Amino acid sequence: MKKTAFGIACGLILFLFIFPIFWIYLTSFKGRPDIYNVDASKLFIFSMTTENYPFVFAERDFLSDIINTAIVSVSSTILVMAISLPAAYSFARFNTGGGQILFTTISTRMFPVAVAAIPFFLFYRALSALDTLWGLTLLYMYFNVSFATFLLYGFFREIPPELEHAAMTDGYGRIAILRRVIFPLIKPGAAITTVFCLIFAWNEFLFSFLFSRNLARTISVGLSLYWSALDVQWGAMAAAAGMAILPTLVASWLMQRYIIRGLTFGAVKG
Amino acid sequence: MSKGAEVTAEALPLEFEGKRSFWDVLADEKYFKWILTIPLIVVLLVFMLYPLFYCVYYSVQQYDMVRPAHFIGLDNFRAVLQNADFWHGLRRTAYILVMSICVELLLGMGIALLFNREFRGQNIIRGLCLFPLLISPMIMSMMWNFILQYDFGVVNMVLNVIGLSKVNFWSPKLAIYTITFISIWQWTPFSIFVLLSGLRGLPKDAFEAARVDGAPAWLTFRRLTLPMLSPLIVIIIMLRTMWLIRLFDPLYATTRGGMGTETLDWMVYRISFVFFDIGAGSALAIISLFLTLIVCALMFRVLMKSLGVNQ
Repeated sequence: MKKTAFGIACGLILFLFIFPIFWIYLTSFKGRPDIYNVDASKLFIFSMTTENYPFVFAERDFLSDIINTAIVSVSSTILVMAISLPAAYSFARFNTGGGQILFTTISTRMFPVAVAAIPFFLFYRALSALDTLWGLTLLYMYFNVSFATFLLYGFFREIPPELEHAAMTDGYGRIAILRRVIFPLIKPGAAITTVFCLIFAWNEFLFSFLFSRNLARTISVGLSLYWSALDVQWGAMAAAAGMAILPTLVASWLMQRYIIRGLTFGAVKG
Repeated sequence: MSKGAEVTAEALPLEFEGKRSFWDVLADEKYFKWILTIPLIVVLLVFMLYPLFYCVYYSVQQYDMVRPAHFIGLDNFRAVLQNADFWHGLRRTAYILVMSICVELLLGMGIALLFNREFRGQNIIRGLCLFPLLISPMIMSMMWNFILQYDFGVVNMVLNVIGLSKVNFWSPKLAIYTITFISIWQWTPFSIFVLLSGLRGLPKDAFEAARVDGAPAWLTFRRLTLPMLSPLIVIIIMLRTMWLIRLFDPLYATTRGGMGTETLDWMVYRISFVFFDIGAGSALAIISLFLTLIVCALMFRVLMKSLGVNQ
């Protein structure tokens, strides 16, 4: 009895979380008449078609959107890690700035987008950096850096300082300690942070929407054009959406254990 | 952390005493810890302080990106504060905030307690529950928009079949709840997994003692589980507050601020990037930033206290 109730609860929860995602893929194989069909009996029984997929690539140049997003995500993540790793180590080990700088870093995520967007829009326009990949990369770096620093701060705090003191008494220099002691211990945490940065960059919409039009258009902006159009092509939109979320689904499936660990910001040892 | 510095001094070979090379000065803890933060501080200066100054500067100007800016004092602020839209937006933002966080925490706690046991297929079920969290909010909101359409959305069709009347989820009355629902759907897994890892990390012996003493389950939950999970709850509230105040994607993908769903941040966007009234937009952005900072600074203090970091 208790077991059945538990099973039903789990089933219900799963259904609520998975159904919309399942519906994206189902819709992507529907033709126009089936999508606008109001006959409920045809919700699941329809004439399957794959016409939406080639349409997405032909009509909206989806491939270049994917490539743009990949370039911007990877390059911004590399920059973020190069900035956040040393800073987070400094905050965690030496309490640099007494928590003030750490708080300032985190607070960048609290800024209303317009605070950064208005000046940068004017600034980018003057530099003619609007609609360029490098301009977008810098903005992505800005919005990911606070989260990455906070996450890495938690992971660095898990490394006991005694390890470093011991290494110092053994005559290791700073660089040697970083390379031999700290780096091997922070590797898993750094990997989790990298995955988070990549996913956030991949999913980002607002900055790319304001700062890119055609040349540097990312997936989210490309997809939003379907919704901006007068005649919304739901089938093509679902096909594009299905492809755009596939990498994140695969990543979350393969790395679920690490992602869950990252969510707790090192506040829980897992 | 002066202990580390002492050890360094001891560890230095004797011949270096007195004549320290440039590298030794750099490696001194006093400088070393700041050198590590230089890239971050540069980023903060360029991407945070510079825009902030710019924003403050334009908030006292009249500027529409065409004609040259001219100084008008605090008129922008006065206009914003007298605008009824601002107060509506503020109330809606607070409303969405409280509603989402309460529901997410309650659901998250419930489901975390449910999942906090060994059962068959647990990894698969947990893995599937993680999906909503990592999908692009923009894309997912567009798909929810489709699923909840009045005429041909699947939810309304199913409602029709089981004999209930259709619901217009995008009407002025309901749209704000629908948008809150999308946000809750996407972010409940966050609460679930944070609280679940918290539950798994709880010390067993305290609960064993409570069980032996015959304490009822709800008392154990209130007196033991909740206090031990409180740092995590604070983390959830703080992060969700930050993210919810800046809620944009579900609005863009659905009502575009219409149907009585305009939040504070959407209003900033509308004034600055649709009307190109940079002055008023900046003033509004400053007000919004100020409100957010107050809320988050308080929570950050609570968080650091519960994590045991002395400031």
